[in-house]
Amino acid sequence: MTRQLELEGLTRRFGAITALDDLSFSVPSGRVVGFLGPNGAGKTTTMRAIFGLTDLDAGTVRWGGAPVGDVERGQFGYMPEERGLYPGMHVGEQLTYLGRLHGLAPSDAAASAGRWLERLSVAERAGDKVESLSHGNQQRVQLAAALVHDPEVLILDEPLAGLDPVGIDAIREVLVEQAHAGRGVLISSHQLDLVEDICEDVVIIDHGRLVTSGSVDALETSGARRLVVRVEGDRQGRWAQDMPGVKISEVVAGAARLVLEESVDSDDVLRAAMGAGRVTEFSFERRRLSEVFREALG
Amino acid sequence: MKLQWVVVPVLVFVAGARIWLRYRRRHPRSAASSSRPSHPALRGKVGLVASREIRERLRGRVFRVSTVIILVVVAGAILIPKITSSPSPPEKVGVVGALTTPQRELVVAVGRHTGTKVVLSSEASAATADQALRSGKLDVCIDGDRMIVDESLPTADTFVQSLSAELGTQLAYEQAKLSPVQSETLARAKPLEVVNLKPTAKTTVRTASLIGVILIFIMLSQYLTWTLMGVMEEKSSRVVEVLLAAMRPIQLLSGKVLGIGLMAMGQAALAVAFALVLAEAVGSSLLHGTGPVELAAVLVWLVLGYAFYCWVYAAAGSLVERQDQVQTLVLPLSIPMIIGYIFALIVAPTGSPSLFFDVLAYLPPTAPFEMPVLVALGRVEWWEFACSAIVSIVCTIFVARFAAGIYRRAILRTGGRVRLRQLLAGTRG
Repeated sequence: MTRQLELEGLTRRFGAITALDDLSFSVPSGRVVGFLGPNGAGKTTTMRAIFGLTDLDAGTVRWGGAPVGDVERGQFGYMPEERGLYPGMHVGEQLTYLGRLHGLAPSDAAASAGRWLERLSVAERAGDKVESLSHGNQQRVQLAAALVHDPEVLILDEPLAGLDPVGIDAIREVLVEQAHAGRGVLISSHQLDLVEDICEDVVIIDHGRLVTSGSVDALETSGARRLVVRVEGDRQGRWAQDMPGVKISEVVAGAARLVLEESVDSDDVLRAAMGAGRVTEFSFERRRLSEVFREALG
Repeated sequence: MKLQWVVVPVLVFVAGARIWLRYRRRHPRSAASSSRPSHPALRGKVGLVASREIRERLRGRVFRVSTVIILVVVAGAILIPKITSSPSPPEKVGVVGALTTPQRELVVAVGRHTGTKVVLSSEASAATADQALRSGKLDVCIDGDRMIVDESLPTADTFVQSLSAELGTQLAYEQAKLSPVQSETLARAKPLEVVNLKPTAKTTVRTASLIGVILIFIMLSQYLTWTLMGVMEEKSSRVVEVLLAAMRPIQLLSGKVLGIGLMAMGQAALAVAFALVLAEAVGSSLLHGTGPVELAAVLVWLVLGYAFYCWVYAAAGSLVERQDQVQTLVLPLSIPMIIGYIFALIVAPTGSPSLFFDVLAYLPPTAPFEMPVLVALGRVEWWEFACSAIVSIVCTIFVARFAAGIYRRAILRTGGRVRLRQLLAGTRG
């Protein structure tokens, strides 16, 4: 049986503001879970709650069915939204120190630090101070800090923010690799295209409440059907404007992207398109994650 | 050294340890009693934090420079008085005619008592003596019942005055035609002993206690500022969130104050050892008369003072994240220390503490400065010392608990200075 990180009924109030409102979801081992929501939705508070960094008014965090304590948290890796390492400390020493804080023996911590720096292509900077590194390299070191003790669960707050494509690829590769190795990975991000690529599951929250969750496949194939139709001589999709139950969500390069209500028969749509001109493209499309996100948040 | 100064702290420590062990047996920590159960490995984290703190600061320029400055100040305090009070050159005493044996012995004895080396020379006549005085070959000349000096020459006043008085007295004895036994009896006359009901410490002891108080103030100021800045830097660099994902706030806080505290003690011990060795090597009288009790009192109150204040400064550091915000905090925090320090500076040289001073010696914020002075002045019994120390320890425990709560709530609040009011209002972070 695979273990999973379970968040159950998390509630957190800051005075009159409810940051988390009976929030429940889980992060199974071996899966990369995208944690989405608009700014201020409660993502960072949730992640802090997993590490006991914020007091909860209600709710529990469980790992493998048992409430999470210091020992369990020692098996989690954390990359906070606001990056932080000792600016004046050497990279290698810093990672070794963090490994030791997680219970590794000195030699194991040093070996693991070297291994992760190598894996993330910053091994040659091990003897440099963190403050002398570029933003991208600091981000890699920050990820190494979350991984140095080979955690069972990775909690990463905006791990891809501010990275160039090469950096994104490097980190994406590691995250997917970790999931394949059986680790649970929870990442928050506003880069929905990247989340769509990396994550198998997503959790969307707003105002501290769960809005929707599930596998990316299920969410993208659920909801209203989508059609992309291109008709010669009508690059604006005027032919579909008056069709009942059909909404033009957008027109891209002469192709109309249509959202069909449940009652609409796609054959009727095809016939209407053929009536307007020669149909050069007619295909069903999945919802994009950005659409799932927007529709979920209303 | 009084035995009770050793026995009492040992007894207090043993009793405290027994109470603590008994408490732990009756209240074992269980996983059910806390959402963050204890684990043996967790205790090692305090040591890891402390050792990182020591390692990084030993590497830093600030520590090395401050150590050098302290050693230079200590060396200066010992060497400068020694250099400026270097022994005066020998007193060249010319004699017109010849001195009697008792007179010769008297000149040598006066020289010894006034710490002056005397070189006697015979002068052929008053004229040659006068010429020798004017040319500086002589400092003073004894010519029968007169002593001649040249005022423009730097003569040892004490020596000349004492010698003239003694020779005059001896001359009076001779003129009175006293028997040798009577002369001897009069010569050995001693002033009556003056007994003071309030024992006054020797000047050297008072000076040493003054140095001790200055050392405590400098070191507390330095290390408490380090504590505050260290906590602030962890907050402003945001590394604290990564650290707190691996340990409890109290572990991080304890490790930090322990590491910095150990450095303070190490630096103090180095300064004291350096002072003792240097003073012994150059034969300085500055630390003479300073017993192990006075020295121990300074070190004990350095420890207790740091233990009391470090929590306050660490909690203050968790409220801010910028250098300019630190300035507004440091002054109000240091006012109690400054009060204690100023009163100690006033009282240590005079040696007469007031009732108010005695009261300050029992208040934990000011006791680190007042109590060592009272010990040096011999104005405090061992149980009074122990009582003040216990008050300080108990208050430190309460202050630490309060400060740890502030730290835990404030350290992750970023984006501006956290007001104490907000934290005490119960909005948890």
